[in-house]
Amino acid sequence: MNPEQIITEALDNYESLLISYAWEITGDMESAKDAVQETFLRLSRQNLSDLQPRLRPWLFVVCRNCALDSVRKVVKFSADSVEDHDRASEDPSPDERAMATEEGRRIWGLVADLPSQQREIVKLKFEAGLSYKEMAEILKTSVSTIGVQLHEAMETLRSRWNRETTEVA
Amino acid sequence: MKMDPRITAYAVGELQGRERELFETELSASSTLHDEVNSMTKLVDRLTASTKLDEHFHPEEKDRLLAQCIGNLKSRTRAKKTIIGSLLALAAGLVAFAGLAGIMHQSGPFKWTNLAPLRSTSQEPSPTIVSGNAKPQVAKADTKSETATSATLEPKAMLVPNNNTALVARGAQRQRMQNMSLSLESPNRCVALSDRMACGENLPAPQPSQDNFKFKRSPSSQSEAFNNESYARIRETDFFTAKENPLSTFSIDVDTASYSNVRRFLVEERTPPADAIRTEELINYFRYDYPQPSGENAFSVNLERNHAPWNPEHELVRIGIKGRELPAEDRGPANLVFLIDVSGSMNSPDKLPLLQRSLFALVENLSNDDRVAIVTYAGSSGLVLDSTSGKEKREILAAISNLRSGGSTNGSGGIKLAYETARQNFLKGGNNRVILCTDGDFNVGVTDQGGLQKLIETERESGVFLSVLGFGRGNLKDSTMETLADKGNGNYAYIDSISEGRKVLVEQMGSTLFTIAKDVKIQVEFNPARVAGYRLIGYENRLLAKEDFNNDKIDAGEIGAGHTVTALYEIIPAGQTVQGSPSVDPLKYQQTEPKVVTASNEILTVKVRYKAPDRQKSSLIEIPLAASEIPSADKASEDFRFAAAVAAFGMKLRGSPHVGEIPWAEIQDIARGALGKDPGSYRAEFLTLVEKAKALQRGN
Repeated sequence: MNPEQIITEALDNYESLLISYAWEITGDMESAKDAVQETFLRLSRQNLSDLQPRLRPWLFVVCRNCALDSVRKVVKFSADSVEDHDRASEDPSPDERAMATEEGRRIWGLVADLPSQQREIVKLKFEAGLSYKEMAEILKTSVSTIGVQLHEAMETLRSRWNRETTEVA
Repeated sequence: MKMDPRITAYAVGELQGRERELFETELSASSTLHDEVNSMTKLVDRLTASTKLDEHFHPEEKDRLLAQCIGNLKSRTRAKKTIIGSLLALAAGLVAFAGLAGIMHQSGPFKWTNLAPLRSTSQEPSPTIVSGNAKPQVAKADTKSETATSATLEPKAMLVPNNNTALVARGAQRQRMQNMSLSLESPNRCVALSDRMACGENLPAPQPSQDNFKFKRSPSSQSEAFNNESYARIRETDFFTAKENPLSTFSIDVDTASYSNVRRFLVEERTPPADAIRTEELINYFRYDYPQPSGENAFSVNLERNHAPWNPEHELVRIGIKGRELPAEDRGPANLVFLIDVSGSMNSPDKLPLLQRSLFALVENLSNDDRVAIVTYAGSSGLVLDSTSGKEKREILAAISNLRSGGSTNGSGGIKLAYETARQNFLKGGNNRVILCTDGDFNVGVTDQGGLQKLIETERESGVFLSVLGFGRGNLKDSTMETLADKGNGNYAYIDSISEGRKVLVEQMGSTLFTIAKDVKIQVEFNPARVAGYRLIGYENRLLAKEDFNNDKIDAGEIGAGHTVTALYEIIPAGQTVQGSPSVDPLKYQQTEPKVVTASNEILTVKVRYKAPDRQKSSLIEIPLAASEIPSADKASEDFRFAAAVAAFGMKLRGSPHVGEIPWAEIQDIARGALGKDPGSYRAEFLTLVEKAKALQRGN
């Protein structure tokens, strides 16, 4: 594949995934889209044939960095606030968007209540379909930590889901 | 309920091989487990089925983006073609100069004070730096022969006045003007050239609207936008409360690459991207005089406590580990295979020629039992020197001087060949190691990153370890190199000068090359009765899950003979509030009982787990730290004070909110008062870096 094809295909395949992922981090759609644009512009300056085999994690890493940059900018580069950053409450949450089903809306609503790192892992796993290894690369942690955190997230989701379902019943 | 991440891993299909078989055996035996897996699988299906991605770019937006990307692709190819000629022409001159710098250097031990006469030639004052009453800026002329040489080429680019650069920025797609002065010198010199090309070329000033530059100060993009260096994001660790998180677990890190990389940036009067600053690597760059371990222990663990210089209300606890020193004769022979990148991009005086000079120094110090082989990749590839005894120095030297870079063919199987050579010449009880030397191209014959890591991990089991030496700039894959070295039970060093090359390959050959303990993990338990909150300084990329501490399958850092590793905790003593720690709502269904805290005079307990290099089972060392009155700051050991100064420097340079208002001058004073014997003058050199950082910040 020539570089042009690589970029076009990557844009088609990852556009939505990356926007959704960046949205999770920035909390507002405009900066999310900016981050994804920046990601692809950076991609176009890379040696694409070298990059191609690990394109997927690369895209997520760079997109994450761009999204975090824009968050940082908002909070005046304070590293502290990046950690503490949470979406401005008036913005619609990415997970509050219309889901295909009522069930989907409910389960992703529960995801939105998870701690931020777990939320990110759940999205990377189930939305983007990344492997533990890829996620570990993106989040700069070990595969086992990803395993532990995803499991923790899943346990929380399962118990909250069961509780809600029982309450509804 | 028992926390078993395998349940989730199984449900999402991440459990494989032996682990999966074991799990399935358990599964068939336990109905509870079976039920749990079932309900987890349902949840997985529910999540997967209901993802709905409906956010796209507007079609026009998308077309425009695509057009810009394709434009970038084209200008990238163009830039490559036009500069390649001048690059080659220059190379000859640069190589000659590098030789000269090397000779000058070898005339005596490195002392930054000796270099004064050379300084003026190597630096043009940057127009963006407000110098005020600043002293002439210091550059270590020998560290960057290229810096010195390129100074003659620079004025054209460097004299672009500020308002011109503003013009450039105006042409940029989005203006992000604030703080841009910091990143300006690099675009002037290296515009978005091909990533493979070194900076410092005789380039036209950047053209407006040529590219989609976004000038901004944001730490990581600064480097990414203008060259191809990549760094893993570092999020600084915050304070944790000792009551809720009594355990802190991390893997040791003996890498030092970050320090030499930061030094390179500062010497070039650029602010290093925050993500290139790994504070623990800055601290560990220096040697500390911890006592030798006693008895059979592989290393000694040394604790010291005093006030944190940047916040007198906080305490600083130092954990200092010293690996057993092995006399050269006990070290066991070395079987080294150098895997050398000879692609065209290595054709720069700070890359292949610097590597060659460093290798010459290594060869001088080889003993007769040692063996050296050289495999090249990416250019002309293959076994350049079959494993050769240290007796045959002349033969080895000849092979090193014959190394040439050029071409870009895929050196297929380079890394496999290197490992094969190492295995064929395996020295039992010796130090068997592949040393990858590159400027960042991992075109070693195994193209995908995952495959490469797997290969390295498999080879590690066979007893052949991997170390990585990074060279040059503009294309440095910092994070990948660090990862690869970690996977291979080795370390990663960045070599920016012949003195660094000597330090790594000759002085530290014992520790860089001879592992005495592997998978070294540290877990600290804090006593909530004495500690309100704590924060580990640095090691952000090394944090482990607390369960991983006792899990011998989890890979961690290695420690070499005589090597020291230092970690610092900033501690908020009990009775003070912990700010910045993320708050959690009280649980609704479980009463959080005030936990019974055992009355103890101890502040914390340090547990260190490690394995002997040839063992799979770990041993444990446990050392408590008793609460005693804190001595006054001047009673702290020199090592403690110096490490604290380096920590403060790293944090301040990163723009950390934790370091408060401590001025550069104070950091410098603390370090100056703690130089100690300072063999090699490394600590003295640190003072000049603080000076540079101070000047940069003033200019900003």
